Amino acid sequence: MLPQLIRSPDGRLVVLQQERRIPVQVKLCFPWSEPQRFISLRDDDENEVALVEDPSTLEPASRGALDQALAEAGFVLGVTRVVSIDEEVEIRQWVVETQQGSRSFQTHLDDWPRLLPGGDLLVRDVAGDLYRLIGPDAMDKRSKDLLWSFVD
Amino acid sequence: MNQDIISRYIGQPAVLPPTLRAQLERAWGSDPVQLYAYGDLDAGLRLSGHWIALGSRHVALARPGKNGDWDVQSVERSRIQAVKEAPGLSANTLRLLGAPDDPPMLVARYTQRQRGAFENIRFVLEEALEGRAVPADDADRMYADAVARPVRDAQALVSGRSSTVVLRLLSYLRPYRKSLFLGMGSAAMITGVSLVPPYLAGYVIDNVVRPAQAGTLDRATAFRMAWIAVAAMGLVYIVRQASAVVRLRLMSVVGEWVARDLRTELYEHIQRLSLAFFSRKKTGSLITRVTSDTDRLWDFLAFGVVDVSLSLVMLLGLSTVLLLLDWRLGLVMTLPVPVFCYLIYRHGEGLQQLFVRAWRKWSRVTDVLSDTIPGIRVVKAFNQEDREIARFDDRNEAVTDEFNRIHRKWTTFWPLLMFAVHATTLTVWIFAVPRLLGTGEPLSAGVFVSFLLYTTMFIAPIEVIGQMARTINRATSSAHRVFEVLDSEPEVRDTQEPVKLEPVEGGVVFDNVTFAYDGVRQVLKGVSFAVQPGELIGLVGPSGGGKSTVVNLIARFYDATGGSVRIDGIDVRRLDTGHYREQLGMVLQDPYLFHGTVLENIRYGLPEASLREAVAAAQAANAHDFICRLGQGYDTVVGERGHTLSGGERQRISIARAILHNPRILILDEATSSVDTETEREIQEALERLIAGRTVFAIAHRLSTLRKASRLFVLENGRLAEAGTHQELLHIEGGIYRKLYELQVQLA
Repeated sequence: MLPQLIRSPDGRLVVLQQERRIPVQVKLCFPWSEPQRFISLRDDDENEVALVEDPSTLEPASRGALDQALAEAGFVLGVTRVVSIDEEVEIRQWVVETQQGSRSFQTHLDDWPRLLPGGDLLVRDVAGDLYRLIGPDAMDKRSKDLLWSFVD
Repeated sequence: MNQDIISRYIGQPAVLPPTLRAQLERAWGSDPVQLYAYGDLDAGLRLSGHWIALGSRHVALARPGKNGDWDVQSVERSRIQAVKEAPGLSANTLRLLGAPDDPPMLVARYTQRQRGAFENIRFVLEEALEGRAVPADDADRMYADAVARPVRDAQALVSGRSSTVVLRLLSYLRPYRKSLFLGMGSAAMITGVSLVPPYLAGYVIDNVVRPAQAGTLDRATAFRMAWIAVAAMGLVYIVRQASAVVRLRLMSVVGEWVARDLRTELYEHIQRLSLAFFSRKKTGSLITRVTSDTDRLWDFLAFGVVDVSLSLVMLLGLSTVLLLLDWRLGLVMTLPVPVFCYLIYRHGEGLQQLFVRAWRKWSRVTDVLSDTIPGIRVVKAFNQEDREIARFDDRNEAVTDEFNRIHRKWTTFWPLLMFAVHATTLTVWIFAVPRLLGTGEPLSAGVFVSFLLYTTMFIAPIEVIGQMARTINRATSSAHRVFEVLDSEPEVRDTQEPVKLEPVEGGVVFDNVTFAYDGVRQVLKGVSFAVQPGELIGLVGPSGGGKSTVVNLIARFYDATGGSVRIDGIDVRRLDTGHYREQLGMVLQDPYLFHGTVLENIRYGLPEASLREAVAAAQAANAHDFICRLGQGYDTVVGERGHTLSGGERQRISIARAILHNPRILILDEATSSVDTETEREIQEALERLIAGRTVFAIAHRLSTLRKASRLFVLENGRLAEAGTHQELLHIEGGIYRKLYELQVQLA
């Protein structure tokens, strides 16, 4: 049965289940291979309340509430330009322009960018933040030169 | 250091802006800011900056306003009813909630980078909601530590300038300065005398050969002069090679001594570091630092330092001699030298980019190996050999392509560079030939021959100078990696005048103890208990509840982040850790045996124990019989590359080790969980002998093994949920222990 979802006044996503209102967090089962499908809705104790296989089957109101939560849960910084990549002892220092603003971050020297379905690259920094390098082939020449060592 | 890391790497304020702190504390009636965090995402998930600050009665969210002021939204903590964090892939949202169905009182959004600092605030607020107070700490230190921790864990030092690192490295040569001086002197001698033979060759041609051929010098004088020149050359070569022997021997030995000193210092320091350091660093990386990095530093100190400095001297010397011999030809030869050095430098930089790419692809090859060799049973069970072979072949092919790309680059560059050097020599000929034949400024054949001989000596120093940046980079990188370990401070340190408990009685008190391994997730949340000497305490509860953390804190592998752990009434942080651990024993789920004999392993904690004592300990541990059945008895070599023992056998040797160690406090961490029933019975028997008369903390999932415990502590989600005897806990309606016990009885 498809869950009914609302956005509660406190801003959280809530599953309406019979008489109960269960605040839930959104967990993407396949954040890279199928980000729009298989959405696990989990309560505060991390127990699954519902698994939404295909959000398009939800009622429009529920779908709207879920989309809003999905935007936050699936958010990663989108890199549009690479300014510099420098190696230091044990870490690689990146300076990038993202869709959200300028950012510098560090990766372990042996942490390599991961190729995502569709050709984007995914980089994880030492703090656990994720950076999606959007269309590395279409970036400016400087970015492409800097990324050359990291792209097949 | 944390603030240095934030300034250098993170690009956000290293402390709460003083104007904001003043504004908040003014608004809160002088109540100080206890904690703060930096939110780096706005409601639209764009990178921005805002602060959330916690006082004893308020929480505030502040954004930069107009005219340098802050727009502050402050709420009273007493109105907060719930604190909820919604974690995402990179965006997290913290909501402070008031009455149900009211809008959130405060909302802050932040990336993972800020999560540690926000977690500190969330923890304090949640504890307050549970009626527990968390003592205030230094807010600046807490913030800087939380934000800088990931970078600090990845790299324990803020990269200093290369020159500083090289100077620090060279300071290790100080004890050997006499040998160093002799070695450098010999190298200087080699350089100096190398300049003599070409000069002599030119001199002989101009002053002996040509006059003799022209008949202006008599034959006897010519012979005498020529033989003197040949003898001088012979002497030069003897001095040169003798100096080479002195230089090579002294510098290699000095380099080896420095590498030895570094290895010793490094290993001694590693032994003193806390467990937290080892959980951050991979074993392979630490081994590499003690072995490969010190080896690379030997290479640099033994040869690099001398080669680089003397190549500079050689180039200067050669240029001077060439210009003095003939300044016109000298200019032709020396002007391109800086260009050659630059080209070699650029070539090295280009290769570095190729090496990064090759290194990445090489790691994909090793990934397959490290996946499939340990997991070969799974590969075979699922009949995936062909797929794994194909996966390996693909990656092997890809890395070979990259290495071949590197080979194409350098095999193209060096012949081209040599061609350019030869072209310079050719240019010298083009300028010299007319002059040799009498057109323009006269040039003697002897000077020209000397000149040509000198030009051949240019190539080696050019090569060394061109690669100087790379040589120094490689050495400083290794030095950084070594100094990073040497500069790491152990988190667990003794005080100036540590207390020695002689003997430890075994009273253990946890007083409102909190702990987080990563500074973010609290694994113990205000745990309190008191254990009398001689009690046997069973630690039970679901995985991740905090059982192992409790014993880690008792052993002082880590220090509590809040509250205190007291042994016989003394805070463990005040104890002499080494002395305390001598009276502490551990038997772990997967006991580690060192490479050595059974006897050495049993006597590991007490090497001076007699054979009789070792045998008695083995008998008490039910290990004596199986040890005697081994081919070489107690002298059988076990551990890595040694005789293979079963899990139960290794466990009994570790129990014998603990019995011989005779600890006052004993920790049993799942000591019988991975063995069969019969072995478990034997181990249980051995343990009963071991625990008599000691304070014991035993972690076990099989609750039946803890029936004899004086008390059981049930830990769940980092809290002490239940405490009491087996019978008492069974009587708690709906209790955690009762549920676990009933579940196990049903499964049995």
